[in-house]
Amino acid sequence: MTKTILKAAVVLLLLGFLLIIPRYVESPYALHMMILLFLSVSQGQSWNIVGGYAGQHSVGHAAYFGVGAYTTMMLMHTKQIAPWIGVWAGVALVVVVALAIGSICFRLRGPYFVLASIAVAEILRLSAINLTSLTNGAEGILATELPPFKIGGTIVTEFLTKVPFYYIGLFLVVLTIGITYLVQHSKLGYYFQAIREDQDAAHSLGISITLYKNIALVISAVLTSLAGSFYGIYVGFVDPPTVLGLDVSVQIMLICIIGGMGTLWGPVLGSLVLVPLSEALRSNMVTEVLIKVGLVNAESKVGIFLKENLSHAHVLLYGILVVLVILFMPDGLMGFVKKLATRWKREAV
Amino acid sequence: MAVFMQSLISGILIGGVYALIGIGLTLIFGVMRVINFAHGDILMVGMYLTYMIFTLLGIDPFVSVLITFPLMFLFGGFLQKVFINRVLNALAQNQILLTIGLGLIMSNTVMLIFTSDYKILTTSYSSSTIQVGGGVSVSTPLLISFLITAAITATLYWFLLKTDTGQAIRATAQDRDAAQLMGINVKRMSIIAFGLGSALAGTAGALISPTYYIFPQVGGVFTLKAFVITVLGGMGSVVGATLGGILIGVTESMSAVYISSGWKDVIVFVLFLLVLLFKPSGLMGKSRT
Repeated sequence: MTKTILKAAVVLLLLGFLLIIPRYVESPYALHMMILLFLSVSQGQSWNIVGGYAGQHSVGHAAYFGVGAYTTMMLMHTKQIAPWIGVWAGVALVVVVALAIGSICFRLRGPYFVLASIAVAEILRLSAINLTSLTNGAEGILATELPPFKIGGTIVTEFLTKVPFYYIGLFLVVLTIGITYLVQHSKLGYYFQAIREDQDAAHSLGISITLYKNIALVISAVLTSLAGSFYGIYVGFVDPPTVLGLDVSVQIMLICIIGGMGTLWGPVLGSLVLVPLSEALRSNMVTEVLIKVGLVNAESKVGIFLKENLSHAHVLLYGILVVLVILFMPDGLMGFVKKLATRWKREAV
Repeated sequence: MAVFMQSLISGILIGGVYALIGIGLTLIFGVMRVINFAHGDILMVGMYLTYMIFTLLGIDPFVSVLITFPLMFLFGGFLQKVFINRVLNALAQNQILLTIGLGLIMSNTVMLIFTSDYKILTTSYSSSTIQVGGGVSVSTPLLISFLITAAITATLYWFLLKTDTGQAIRATAQDRDAAQLMGINVKRMSIIAFGLGSALAGTAGALISPTYYIFPQVGGVFTLKAFVITVLGGMGSVVGATLGGILIGVTESMSAVYISSGWKDVIVFVLFLLVLLFKPSGLMGKSRT
């Protein structure tokens, strides 16, 4: 009991801390990093519900991310519909898409399900490229002018700084973690985990497998779509590869795998590792540090090569991380931490 | 009619190369039950290898297959021994992720070395065609690559059916445990199967290098195509993959002509989903419970 209260206190304290950050931090870059972190946590947590808890490893979550992002941006760009209304259109569409995908793909198991989920996302990506009149094709949609957000005539924010985006991102994180917590501690969560552990046993106990898989997918898809809409509005630009590509699906999945699937804090941990690392590589920080420390000479061939190319290859790091995690910590960082904790406890006794 | 024949023939020719890619994937799946998501990236490595041999040594891409095949075999064997072997008994998603990770490493390492510029391998016959008659013409490099593919496929069939090693590979694919009890070195068969699969993918890369753009991300498309082909033919079935490859080649070329080239991949994926739904065991596969 005291442990639960302690945990809740830590979480609330952390949340309070995150709420007041923008009052003291003004650097747009720092806020940008936090927003990227929030986006990553909410993506990972959304996937976690269907992938981690229900054990259905969709490699096609770009479909929901992209549909959310595209719907919001398309409505804003062509019909001048404010994004906070467009978001719900995106959600509605994603529910339809998720149910369609679920009814097709959930008939399949294991590797076949994975392949089908990829195929559906690819069909959507190719459609976005080809339906030029609707989606502007491969050029994508650019819409950076956001209308001011009003409640009853008073302007709440005009989106002039990154602060409103920061709070939207934080809201998404709280929402996704909150929903995952609720799912985990409800009958629904137990059903999901029963399906994950042994589909046939769950079925023989009277759990309707298809129904609960679809419920898990719809919850996950709706949350992913919200993250997608947020991405579109924040960046102000969407095109087929950046929101519907296979890379997007893999990255969403990676957050969970590295952090730990089917755990509440896994996606947070995964994001805390992935976001700073990929940003450090992207912004050439790694090369600069290597040069400063004196490991690499800035004028030497290696130094010049790294400066020019390392920032393009931040995905290389993703690849190496995945391989290492799968080979050496198949339960992700959370599993690794737990293992260390139990070992430490045993030794303490 | 000429248009129909034209697209049918070029579909079959490109389908031959697809078959090679599919056979590689299906061999790996058959023996190890591992879905290799790095298959397209292995093909990409084969393309770059061919490109390097061509630009540095001046050896024709179709001749350099003789070098590419054994090198890619060794590369595949290495991948199996160091990485894949460790996850043979792991969960399916971990196997998939491991191969995705390996693919990312391959494509990004190649990008670091060669940058992401598109490379073109131009030979004297790259754009030449042969008139077949009836207004139908065939691209010379496609025809040569089809003939090489046919020869390789025939040799492979002979290897799998007639040689001891080939029979041991098929036995392992049928029942790993039983094969081990019969004294087959299952681990070695896995290495050979992954090596062969990689060599076939690499060779396919070499064969299409005179007609395709070469760039680090080219693999993704082929990984997806390889899945479509193997599922269509039945996972683990070599004959199925051969038929599946040709079927996909023809479907693509027909839909490019009669619908639009932008939608041809969509049609292939829709076909894929339909097969998954209505005949998940594929054309030649036995249904598994």
